[in-house]
Amino acid sequence: MSAVAATIDQYRRQLRINRMGLWLFFISEAFLFGGLLVVRFYLWGNTRPELDQVIGLIVTSVLLASSFSMNLAETGMEYNDRKTFSRGLIMTFIFGLIFLIGVVIFEWGLIPSLYEGHLKPSSGVYGAVVFAMTGMHALHVITGLIFIAIVWNLGRKGHYSSERHWGVESCAIYWHYVDLVWIFFYPALYLIGHVAH
Amino acid sequence: MAAHSRTRSAAYRRSATVALVLALLTVIEFFAALYFNSIVILMLMALFKAVLVLNYFMHVSRLWTPDEEGHEA
Repeated sequence: MSAVAATIDQYRRQLRINRMGLWLFFISEAFLFGGLLVVRFYLWGNTRPELDQVIGLIVTSVLLASSFSMNLAETGMEYNDRKTFSRGLIMTFIFGLIFLIGVVIFEWGLIPSLYEGHLKPSSGVYGAVVFAMTGMHALHVITGLIFIAIVWNLGRKGHYSSERHWGVESCAIYWHYVDLVWIFFYPALYLIGHVAH
Repeated sequence: MAAHSRTRSAAYRRSATVALVLALLTVIEFFAALYFNSIVILMLMALFKAVLVLNYFMHVSRLWTPDEEGHEA
């Protein structure tokens, strides 16, 4: 086996291990988010707090758009289309930031002079669950944003190629996981059950 | 070169189609909650959306077919 073939073979093996490691991490995270969902259904049953439906729909759409732009960025790198890669990552970062602002400033009401939130963490089971679920998710969004910034910077310096871009792939998969969690959190928080008064 | 460009365009198109379907499902989910308010329907829709994301955006199948696309690997 030539030196080049040996290097490629080693990279293949490493890539398989990396992917498996990332998915095992997701499985462990699923227990965390799954636990929060169980708490929601146990404590709220078929009720829900009165949350702003418009904000819920907007932040969900924005996160969905961010998944699309992230996929464009990853596909761009796969095909050596660096302009799409860079633009896609920047758009994903902006969408992610809008999502975070939508949740923190509007849903949480962190700046009451700008928007009075509906709930406080101390507002009984409703406040506690809403803040636990959105808080844990927001923490992952922040991590994702940092990850995106790092990958964008490394990509700008030419760290990735169409053949070798595990950093881009892992960042994209992580971001889609954040979206995946919200796919279940959105109906659980905003849609399922009757509004409790 | 032309074939490369075609496959790239096809990949972008597929990405846009999946995003469009997800957006449509989100809107349907919203109105389904207004008119039916059924946990089963809403969770099934969420599950379907999750499968789309897992398959097309997260490339879960690469776990068992690692060299399928993307990396030269």
